[in-house]
Amino acid sequence: MSVPTQKPDASTKGAAGTVGLRPAGEIPNPLHGNPARTARRRHIDVLSRVVVSFGGAAIIFCILAILIVILHETIPLFKGASAQPQAAYATAGVESVMCVDCDEYLDTGYFVHAKGVYLFNLSDGKPAAEQPSLPLGEARVVAHSDLMHGSRTLALSDRRILPLDFSFRATFPKGAEGPRIIVPKVEPHAAVQLKDVPATSTIRALAYLHDGERAFHAAAMDTGELILLRTAESTGGGMFASEDDEKDTALEQLRLPLKLEGQTNAMVFSETGDYLYAGTEAGEFIAIDLRKPEAAAISSRVDLGKEHGAIRELGILLGGTTLVTATEDGTVQAWQNLRQPDNTRELTLIRTFKPHGGKPNSFSRSRRNKGFLTADTTGHVLLHYSTTGATQLDLKADVGDLSSVALSPKGDAIVAAGQDGRVQTWSLHNEHPESTLGSLFGQVWYEGYERPEHVWQSTGGSDEFESKFGLTPLIVGTIKGTFYALLFAIPLALLSALYVSQFMHPNLRTWVKPTVEIMAALPSVVLGFLAGLWLAPKVESIAPGVFMTILVTPATILAALFVWEFLPDKVRHRLPKGHEVYLLLPIVLVGGWLSLQLGEFVNTGLFGGDYRNWLRDEWKIKYDQRNSLVVGLAMGVAVIPIIFTIAEDSLSNVPQHLKAGALALGSTPWQAAVLVILPTASPGIFSAIMIGFGRAVGETMIVLMATGNTPVMDMSMFSGFRALSANIAVELPEAPEGSTHYRTLFLGALLLFFMTFSVNTLAEMIRLRLRRKYRVL
Amino acid sequence: MKRHWKHILLRSGDPFIWLTGGALAASLLLVIGMIALIFVSGLGFFWPHALTKFDLGDGKQVLGALMEREEVPNPDNPEHAVRHRIKVKQGNRDLYGMDFLWIDEDQIKSRELPGDAVQVERMEWGHFYGYVKEVKDGDKPVATGAEAFAKVQALLPEAERIREEIRSLERDSVGEINYYQNQVRLKLKKLHMDGVDTGPEVDALTKEMDSWQQKYIDLTKRIAELKAKQTYSVSFTAPAGALASGEREKTMALAEILRVDKPNHMSFVEKCSYYLAKVWEFVAADPRESNTEGGVFPAIFGTVMMVMIMSVLVTPLGVLAAFYLREYAKQGTMVSIVRIAVNNLAGVPSIVFGVFGVGFFIYFMGAGTDKALFPEMLPTPTFGTGGILWASLTLSLLTVPVVIVATEEGLAAIPPSMREGSLALGATKFETTVRVVLPAVMPSILTGLILAMARAAGEVAPLMITGVVKLAPSLPLDGYFPYVHLERKFMHLGFHIYDVGFQSPNVDAARPMVFTTTLLLLGIIVLLNIGAIFIRNRLRKKFSAATAAI
Repeated sequence: MSVPTQKPDASTKGAAGTVGLRPAGEIPNPLHGNPARTARRRHIDVLSRVVVSFGGAAIIFCILAILIVILHETIPLFKGASAQPQAAYATAGVESVMCVDCDEYLDTGYFVHAKGVYLFNLSDGKPAAEQPSLPLGEARVVAHSDLMHGSRTLALSDRRILPLDFSFRATFPKGAEGPRIIVPKVEPHAAVQLKDVPATSTIRALAYLHDGERAFHAAAMDTGELILLRTAESTGGGMFASEDDEKDTALEQLRLPLKLEGQTNAMVFSETGDYLYAGTEAGEFIAIDLRKPEAAAISSRVDLGKEHGAIRELGILLGGTTLVTATEDGTVQAWQNLRQPDNTRELTLIRTFKPHGGKPNSFSRSRRNKGFLTADTTGHVLLHYSTTGATQLDLKADVGDLSSVALSPKGDAIVAAGQDGRVQTWSLHNEHPESTLGSLFGQVWYEGYERPEHVWQSTGGSDEFESKFGLTPLIVGTIKGTFYALLFAIPLALLSALYVSQFMHPNLRTWVKPTVEIMAALPSVVLGFLAGLWLAPKVESIAPGVFMTILVTPATILAALFVWEFLPDKVRHRLPKGHEVYLLLPIVLVGGWLSLQLGEFVNTGLFGGDYRNWLRDEWKIKYDQRNSLVVGLAMGVAVIPIIFTIAEDSLSNVPQHLKAGALALGSTPWQAAVLVILPTASPGIFSAIMIGFGRAVGETMIVLMATGNTPVMDMSMFSGFRALSANIAVELPEAPEGSTHYRTLFLGALLLFFMTFSVNTLAEMIRLRLRRKYRVL
Repeated sequence: MKRHWKHILLRSGDPFIWLTGGALAASLLLVIGMIALIFVSGLGFFWPHALTKFDLGDGKQVLGALMEREEVPNPDNPEHAVRHRIKVKQGNRDLYGMDFLWIDEDQIKSRELPGDAVQVERMEWGHFYGYVKEVKDGDKPVATGAEAFAKVQALLPEAERIREEIRSLERDSVGEINYYQNQVRLKLKKLHMDGVDTGPEVDALTKEMDSWQQKYIDLTKRIAELKAKQTYSVSFTAPAGALASGEREKTMALAEILRVDKPNHMSFVEKCSYYLAKVWEFVAADPRESNTEGGVFPAIFGTVMMVMIMSVLVTPLGVLAAFYLREYAKQGTMVSIVRIAVNNLAGVPSIVFGVFGVGFFIYFMGAGTDKALFPEMLPTPTFGTGGILWASLTLSLLTVPVVIVATEEGLAAIPPSMREGSLALGATKFETTVRVVLPAVMPSILTGLILAMARAAGEVAPLMITGVVKLAPSLPLDGYFPYVHLERKFMHLGFHIYDVGFQSPNVDAARPMVFTTTLLLLGIIVLLNIGAIFIRNRLRKKFSAATAAI
């Protein structure tokens, strides 16, 4: 005590000394030594306050920054499409425009009109310097096919078919940094005269397909006949021959052995040329099986006529699977030619889009995704997206009698053309058409699926792949993993916490708590590695035993206790109260061993030696080696210490006098613990579980390594799953920045953030309330 | 006193107490068992295995190390309901196609431990098990039979010296030339972008380029000379495997061979020295054969460097926030908000931090840095892709709550009288904080920092998307200006475990290596944690003593 009393004395003396040097009447203040120094000290003090407060603000900033950055990357997903009008002009010298299109640089546009092809500058409508000369003669163009691999086929009034190659080459005549000049080129191939058709007939519709090796054309005559033209097989140059060679090779003609009733309005091939689809004036939608063209037959037909009237437009979307019909009454529908259980195919309606007010008369598909445009005679242009079933835009074109629309090759512009050559263009911003709330979380009828389903399949082999961004399987996976982990962790952690806080000797407690804390520090990659490579095969061989432990181990403990209680007091007093765990360690080991033996017995006795067969035969459950049970065990080990620590804290912080009172009133320690301590600490225990939940939800490495990572939708204990977190870890490095895939992964992260944020905030609030409650007690 | 069973089971509550104790025992056993498993599997990896020759009849033989023995049910034969089969590491992947083989014990006619069986470690194809047949210098036989093994041992040190020299020339010297050539190329490109295509600067650079090119040619000559010295080759024989009878011969260049041992002949001391050599190789050497052989030095280096950078970043941030919360802020709404923010930050899943790192650090800050500082490198990103700096920054955000909580705890433990005494003596708040509070709270900060380091060392998920790679071509620290390359990708022990254990083409052969890596990582983390707990306990004692004194 002497030192502390000395110090104030010394400083008082010093202060008194200073006072002596100052004019009388001034209050002695130790800070008034040297005014400059004092000011400097004040400044530093203020500065330090600012810096330290900045440190506090930085933490809030961090949490906000995480939220903002992730939100910022996610929000564009939900921004719809937008279009800005660019140009509107009239072109001269064209006659009844049938089709409009443009190049990928948005430099040159072209019409297919009755007199051939007309090239013009897309921004001002001026005709291109060099117009293509086509061998039309006296004939007029009567029909045209879709564009495929840069080629389009025209049907002429004299029953000739004229394939054309379109190319728009970017040249840099003044060096790489000079201006870019687009050189448009339309090259006709040799026209083919249709044989075996009456001289009075005309071609109504034309379909064209190039599968990389062979070209197919199909022409529908007004007499109902169908002519198939294809590159002769013998001349095929194989995969590596240049396309030019092939297009010039002879086309063989084949009249299909069937006749369509009524007039055909539109016709398209399926992706591989196995099927030909036609839509008629009578409203019939027909699929023709072309796998053996000599024996071609109608494989499926749907009558839309009664309900919707004539089929005006029929299109097939990128990938060649989804068909789109636009009917007289303005209805736009998407169809698939779905395989049935008996291996036939049936045209199946998968969704209906927003209808047109007028008669649809134009269709244009996107060349990058599953989007398409439809337009009607009143000038309305609708932009739809097939996967989501959404109609994203409704534009009104002012081009007189609208006859054709086109979505630019890069999907960044819309061109509409009137019958008389008037043109209007829009620039289009449509970054993420494939994501809507419905498609992200709801069931979607994807291409090739039999029904709407929740699917996550983000990448496929080609550009034509329909990305499936259904987050629901991932959310289900996350919840499934968390559920099984908590199922395992909560009982063990809470019971351990109760024992450690209430019944264990304090000396032992000082050892147990740090051990458990170290357990919490085990890296999850270690747990995941053990679970995936060691535990999964082990569990597979002893699964019945694993389930046995739930019953057998407690039974062993009880049996051991029963024996223990009847041992002589001398032996029993060797182990003082609070040290039971020494005895229990070997007992639990024995229990575990017993349950494995019993499991083996049950496996051979009840399940005929292999429980997996039994599961499969009796319950139709498939056993995956890396399954939710393994994840539950491994993630449980990761979560136990967290729940344990927080629950133990809240249990041992219950004021001691409550327990003392209960014991004094005659309750046993167990009664005091369960009836008095546990209810008082229950909010803390709840918050412990919440925090354990938060940890399990976000756990990545364990679920990544110990599951098969297949996005499935069941809750079976014996199958794997794909969790949100693992999905991000695997796919984010491959997702291009700014793509829908990238942003959807950010959305997954946002979901994780909100899940843990809400749960943690709740837990924290509960804990604060509890602390106040204890203070009152 | 006579105890009645009803009393025991229902009244006393003891059964329930025992059950809760059982839960604790089970949890403890889980941890102990897991750590024991990692220890045994990890430590045993380097101990030399005896090579057993299994005779399968018909002249078929298998030579290899016995790895495992397990029961297989035999329902067909009720008298011998249980059979056993063994897993043998037969090596010689180039001859047999696979490293491991399961053999039913019934098939084995006899086993023996041939004394002259050798285990060869080589650059490719994993271990080779067989017998030394002959050593040749070019086409000329030098030693055969029994002398051959001694000859190989005698020749190996020189072969290793040459191999190391070639490797150092190929990697370091050629790497250096590549590096400087690339620098010159970039300078030229930058000049070009500034509009300078001719002139003295360009000429000087072109000349420099040529001189590097000349050096490169000299170097390739030197390497060719060294390679010409590698004339020795060694022939081995090995059984033809479980499927064929007879023997097969395999000739390897001496330069391909790392070491040759006769494990069946080794004394205990020799085994120990073999073990230590292998441990040293594991810690200090580069990985070989897509990370399944050799060492993990780059991964250790990457982990340590990443944790260091993270520590430098996290300490000021965490300490400032804790001081704000305890020393400066008025307890009110602001403090509650910060506290909830800290708690939430601690609860945010690590992968979300990773996603933030990708979105903010890599694609926003990194891409911005590239545009401003390295336009000549574009479109190849410098900082606009994952790297050690971004990974460390991400992890420092992840671990900042750990430092805050530990520091706060320390600040709370300092008796208010210490601060009051200082203030009463006329010190400003800042002076009190720096001279009185900070020294007292230093151990707590250290505790927090160590815990943060342990957390960072074990975290893998956020790194996977912010810059870890399975095999980094160069360390983030080397001899070229600016010596520390924060933009480089790096290797990490935790990711190494994931990669080798799950992405490796030959998981079976890689598994022991993964256990060893796991042991290493676990060792680092447990040591860090024990250190932190130790410091904290000492601190508590010190302060409780201090409080008692007052």
